[in-house]
Amino acid sequence: MILGVDWAELQIALHVRVGDRDRSYDYPMTAPVTTQAALAGLKVLDVAGTIASGYCGKLFADHGAQVVNVEPPDGGFATRREPPFIAAAAAPEDSALHAYLNTNKASVALDVDAEPTGLQALAADASVVLDDGRFDAGTFAAAAPDVVVATITWFGRSGPYAAFQGTHGVCWALAGMIRNVGPAEGPPLVASGCAAEIVGGLTAFIGTLGQVLAREMGNASGPVRLDTSIFEANLCFSEPGGVGGYRSGRRGRRLGVNRFAPTYPLGVYACADGWLGVTALTPSQWKSFCTLLGMDEHADTPQYQTAIGRLYDYDVLEPIIKRQVRNRSAAQLVRRGQDMRIPLAPVPTMEELFTTDQYVARGAFAQVAAADAVFPAPATPFRLFATPALVGGQSPRLGEHQELVQ
Amino acid sequence: MSRPRLLKGVRVVDLSMGWAGPLAARHLVDMGADVIKVEGCVRFDWWRGWEATQEWIDDGGAEKNPAFNTVNRNKRAITLDLSSPVGSDLLKRLVAISDVVVENYSAGVLPKLGLSYDALKAVNPALVMISMPAFGIDGPWRGYRAYGSTVEQASGLPHLSGTADAPPTMVHVALGDSVGGLNGAAALLTALRHKRRTGQGQYMDLSQSQCLFPLGIEGILTQSAAGETPPRLGNRSLRFAPHGVYPCAGEDEWIVIQVRSERQWQALAELAEIEGFGDCADRLERVDELDRALAAFTAEQVAELLTATLQAAGIPAGHAASGLELGLDPHLAARGFWQLMERPYVGEIPHPAPPYRVGERPFDIDSPAPTLGQHNREVLGELLGLSDADIDDLERQGIIGDKPRLP
Repeated sequence: MILGVDWAELQIALHVRVGDRDRSYDYPMTAPVTTQAALAGLKVLDVAGTIASGYCGKLFADHGAQVVNVEPPDGGFATRREPPFIAAAAAPEDSALHAYLNTNKASVALDVDAEPTGLQALAADASVVLDDGRFDAGTFAAAAPDVVVATITWFGRSGPYAAFQGTHGVCWALAGMIRNVGPAEGPPLVASGCAAEIVGGLTAFIGTLGQVLAREMGNASGPVRLDTSIFEANLCFSEPGGVGGYRSGRRGRRLGVNRFAPTYPLGVYACADGWLGVTALTPSQWKSFCTLLGMDEHADTPQYQTAIGRLYDYDVLEPIIKRQVRNRSAAQLVRRGQDMRIPLAPVPTMEELFTTDQYVARGAFAQVAAADAVFPAPATPFRLFATPALVGGQSPRLGEHQELVQ
Repeated sequence: MSRPRLLKGVRVVDLSMGWAGPLAARHLVDMGADVIKVEGCVRFDWWRGWEATQEWIDDGGAEKNPAFNTVNRNKRAITLDLSSPVGSDLLKRLVAISDVVVENYSAGVLPKLGLSYDALKAVNPALVMISMPAFGIDGPWRGYRAYGSTVEQASGLPHLSGTADAPPTMVHVALGDSVGGLNGAAALLTALRHKRRTGQGQYMDLSQSQCLFPLGIEGILTQSAAGETPPRLGNRSLRFAPHGVYPCAGEDEWIVIQVRSERQWQALAELAEIEGFGDCADRLERVDELDRALAAFTAEQVAELLTATLQAAGIPAGHAASGLELGLDPHLAARGFWQLMERPYVGEIPHPAPPYRVGERPFDIDSPAPTLGQHNREVLGELLGLSDADIDDLERQGIIGDKPRLP
């Protein structure tokens, strides 16, 4: 029992197909506990239906807010058609991504252009409307006098990039996130995905909840539109580089895969039983690392007492490190290294992630149910011990909560 | 002008160091909370520098790190030697009149100092406190040391980037830090909302490595819901073509182009004068040939100008900016994103605006990052009621100070 919730009782077994094998995992799914939830009593409408708005809304829903997706009647939000799809689902294109983003939310089907009064009625007393720039803040103000219209767009609503088409890759390129990734020769690397949108949605949640709280505390009043730029949100990774570039007037050079100034060694190394993640930053970490790997002759070299000094010599050190770890066990190196206060970690594959002991121990994954299938997906990564978040849950069918539209 | 006062009345004791914890507290201070950063003269924020020497200290090295200065603006800063009973007692007095404590020490450090959540709750029953260790406060890895890089490694995300013939590929020197910081801010505001409604504080933790999972959600769900191991495709996509990073004129200049629709493809084909390719299936089939044709076009173009040209035609494209270019980015300039402010030891430096705004202008920033112990007198005197003589005494004992010391 943790804080009155019997997690064990709520666990259900789950089969996940991995390649041609069946694996069974136990991950929890908790029933909604809205009275205890930290964000109970807040009503959030999502009229945007993007990955970013979906993730922002998910954080509200996870903590007990009533989140209502207002979806176009012809097919619903576009995220319903985004891969990856659920292999076990009845319909061939049931999006696992959409299901993950929309657990514990409600869905109504409404043509907001044809039925503005329906939208007004839904917005009654809403605390938050998640929007992609289509609506004026004033649209909702009559029905919801203190509403925060949280507008999330790729580049914000002003400036020369305002009308730019965004993707995760385009956003990260412009945000200075890809230039240092990849081999020194050849193009920088950026995998497809939606990390930029997730960061945008998370950032919008912070700003939006700040506005909601300000209204509840009496520090602000009236309707407001809060613009979050996904691009600017992702500068959280690179803003120190922006400041550094301003001061130095220099551009960095791409050094190679897993090689980032000013830290060396830092990287992912092949071991006998998997991948080892290495970082050795301080002088004492370097010395211990040399001892662990049996390369003591480099421990006290004056040039190697700084991370940047080692980086200059990586063509000497890299083959030695690779050789010293390749026949050893990553799991053992991590345990011994951590005992010596060196920040080492395993680098689990996607398959290993779900059975990594640390993540199992913390309930890092939870059951998401949609389209008659269940699969594990990440649980909310932060834990409020007095008001635990909902873990996993059901994603609604399009229009499943149509009774909310009067 | 001044920063908004949305969180006026919320006081935060920021014991955190490095990037993640200070970034969490930065979101609160940017919205008007009073954030008091607490360091020791010996145990100063390690992000000021992790290779301290006397020469570095004498040169003001502890005040010059752009990364430190970027995440600590708007805050006040005091020093307290928390290993001394007097310092620890003063911290408790400060916590007693605050709402929030943020900490990201390694597991066990605060309890050893007598400053566990339970000890702090005893002086402030409604305290909201978050611990932000790399892997969370429990589980077999709870005591593991980690940086933002370790967190990225342990999240498994490197298996989603790069090419199949290269090792799992990291995308940042410290990816875990900023995402941990954002999640910390989200958790703090959620708990503050509960506290405002019920008067109840609480303890929270997060796992920075779990915080990264949503960023790799496509790969994770490909494994768990679609039942397939996500492939490592470099810059390519299984669904779209062209989808890649292409060379531009000059040395090490590149542009991302990711076509998502037939309309975008037709616009691109016309601009680049590429002929002979059919629908998306055909382009995926002949992707090597397609990428060569597109690269032949982009190699003659100036990256920033090509971004503008392609985007004007509705094609998702963006050049690979460096840190230097971020400072010169015309969009960020037009939006007033970088706010120049004078900071002791470094002169005028740009400060990034909060990523959310009301209206055209970004939120203002009141003050640059504080210097070590800059607000000792203000906080200890005005908030805790210490006399000047008491404060002089603390300085003589080395419990407070405004210069780093070697251990």
